[in-house]
Amino acid sequence: MKGNSAILSALNEVLTTELTSINQFFLHARMYKNWGLSALNDKCYKKSIKDMKQADVLIERILFLEGLPNLQRLGALSIGEETQEMLGCDAKFQTAQISQMKPIIALCEQEKDFVTRQILVDILEYEEEHLDWLETQDYQIANMGIEKYLQAQL
Amino acid sequence: MYVCLCKGITDKDIKEAVRAQGVGSLRELKQLMPLGSQCGTCTKVAQKIIDDTIIDDTMFKDVG
Ligand code: FES
Ligand SMILES: [Fe+2]
Repeated sequence: MKGNSAILSALNEVLTTELTSINQFFLHARMYKNWGLSALNDKCYKKSIKDMKQADVLIERILFLEGLPNLQRLGALSIGEETQEMLGCDAKFQTAQISQMKPIIALCEQEKDFVTRQILVDILEYEEEHLDWLETQDYQIANMGIEKYLQAQL
Repeated sequence: MYVCLCKGITDKDIKEAVRAQGVGSLRELKQLMPLGSQCGTCTKVAQKIIDDTIIDDTMFKDVG
């Protein structure tokens, strides 16, 4: 089925974000693991694997629409040096992805590509939830202090 | 945070080079450290950090 070319290039942009996200969260996960922060390792590891599954759905959709998924392009990673900075880098990443996706969902709606729209809405929902989780961490750090917070992540 | 992941260079390293060594451009920064020597993804962000650090420092001077 031949897809709309604007939607195809937008899907490739979301794919680039997911491919970048896989690496950012995987590296952050293993940095946390290296410091013994298992709770944060688990959370970020799962996020990275989820990104891979999201990338898979996007790749298959692009192929279905007779486009070529671009697995060459990768965005810049934002990697922190310590926990709080890492959480901040991830929050910035999530915020950027959420604002990237909204106009693309509107484009799908306008072009009546409801299946692609649904795929993107599912991704957006998960990304928003992760941003919410990041904001909760921020709140906890502000309330209990970074030392107690880190202790809770062991 | 890490600005240049290929070479492990952080924003703090760059700011330090601007403040302590008087680096004013990307070219000068590259003479001090291998930033941007592999994939080149980091040069735009590095440039912005140099500019922002210079602006920050000048503003501090103005305030006295
Ligand atoms: S990130 Fe700096 S050269 Fe690759
Ligand atoms: Fe994702």
